[in-house]
Amino acid sequence: MGKNKFLPLFAALAAACLFSMAAGPAGLSPEVMLNLRLPRTLAALAVGAALGLAGALFQGVLKNPLSDPYILGTSSGATVAAVFCFLAGIERTSPLFFLAVFAGAFGATFLSYWLARAAGRLSDAALVLAGVAVSAFLSAVVMLTLSAARERSLSLFYFVLGGLYAVEPGVLLFSGAIILVAAAFSAARWRALDAMSLGAEKAYHLGADPERERLVFFALACAATSAAVAMGGTIGFVGLMTPHIVRLISGPSARFLVPAAAVGGAALLTAADAAGRSLFPPSEIPAGVIMALAGAPFFMWLLWKNSRGRN
Amino acid sequence: MPALKVAGLTFSYGAGPLLRDVAFELRPGDFMCVLGPNGSGKSTLLKLLTGFIKGGAGSVCLGGGDIGSIDARRLARLVAYVPSETTTPYDFSARELVLMGRTARSGFWRGYSAADEEAADRALAETGIAHLAGRSVNSLSTGERQLVFIAQALAQEAKLLLLDEPTSHLDLKYKAAVMGLLAALAARKLAVAAVLHEPALARLGCNKALLLGREGAYSFGPVSEMLLPARLAAVYGLPENSPLLPK
Repeated sequence: MGKNKFLPLFAALAAACLFSMAAGPAGLSPEVMLNLRLPRTLAALAVGAALGLAGALFQGVLKNPLSDPYILGTSSGATVAAVFCFLAGIERTSPLFFLAVFAGAFGATFLSYWLARAAGRLSDAALVLAGVAVSAFLSAVVMLTLSAARERSLSLFYFVLGGLYAVEPGVLLFSGAIILVAAAFSAARWRALDAMSLGAEKAYHLGADPERERLVFFALACAATSAAVAMGGTIGFVGLMTPHIVRLISGPSARFLVPAAAVGGAALLTAADAAGRSLFPPSEIPAGVIMALAGAPFFMWLLWKNSRGRN
Repeated sequence: MPALKVAGLTFSYGAGPLLRDVAFELRPGDFMCVLGPNGSGKSTLLKLLTGFIKGGAGSVCLGGGDIGSIDARRLARLVAYVPSETTTPYDFSARELVLMGRTARSGFWRGYSAADEEAADRALAETGIAHLAGRSVNSLSTGERQLVFIAQALAQEAKLLLLDEPTSHLDLKYKAAVMGLLAALAARKLAVAAVLHEPALARLGCNKALLLGREGAYSFGPVSEMLLPARLAAVYGLPENSPLLPK
């Protein structure tokens, strides 16, 4: 039954890959496909999978359908750390880079979580507001840094904008490995994630330790997000949209949702990146912009749906 | 051996004491109602009994061991808890939710076993909602959803069952159904404690009652003594002849 369920997802993934390999102004020569589009498609697949996974983990562990690494400030935290690393001359292939980016992601996520908790009951709205506040502050830090370091800011600017340009094989390999491990680990702990998706109180009484599970799944989601940010900068809404879309196929249980969100996120971002390359040739629209164009209205619809469900 | 033994339990959120020196004991087969005005600490008491709220003085013993020394996994086999608010933003089916009652039965690395599946089906049958197994829990009525979460607690196969206001949002038919179910579970040698808002409901099978009053005052005893109109009137601040009190 599980395999049949995943069939439409894998079909979407295959379609997105074909689209990505064919899309772009440079035509269909073997060199272009192999040297430019293949690495880029692989990067889009990895970043999309990481963000879809992180979205599913956050939405489950926080019992909050409005959360994703972009809204919670996870991506911003990772981006700030990445920008500082660039300026300090720490290469993207260095383990130190990943450690710093992970620390930034983890710190920002816990700050949002802690702010929302301090505001009283951990409501969906409080978490979104706290995430917005943390993201806004961290984005301001990034902008400040970009303005101050003007001579290097063009490449950093594109990084912050969120796009998949030239991903070095070393970064792709290292990030890809982190994402695979995080996905496998998360998928194996699906029962703990299901318990948490009923809320911390219910999870505790079912025999899961909510403090520990929160820590574990935050760490996994932050590791995946860090790997994604290292490759593609800040790309929003993949993590938010993907779980909602794939739940229609996989159902709500993390058993199928976690792998489905990784596959679905990969397909979604790969298609968005290919669309960005083919909409206005020869100029390229960053995948992050495409995702925001599609994702922001989706978020508004979610907010509307959620508030209606309450009344 | 008592399923639950509470001694000297004292707790406060900062201002005045909420619970002061509370002591009582539940044995298998006991069905206790917890009554008292809003803010008297009924829900807090339940969460202190499961260790979800920590702090405060005194001791809570479950199945012979102090609650502080029991890890989360073993705790879930000793006590099951049904919260007053049973919502989830995700469309789990009733059976998926009941299966989650088996969370503590094996490591998170493993899926549910055949024994887990059987326990879930037994719990669905015992609560009379086997026909709802495949339905999305968010499409169910409040009463049906309450039964799903009671079934989830049953699937835990704990010795002690705690319920926070299990009848509050239900119509009279479901109130009677839930109380009847809890009484049947007590007859099966589970210890059951439920926070209730209407003293009259205690007549549907409770044998013990815990009355929580203001500033930590409490009384505990058999239902026949605890439900006297004079005593209830004092606890709730009502005139003794109020039609709200059971005769």
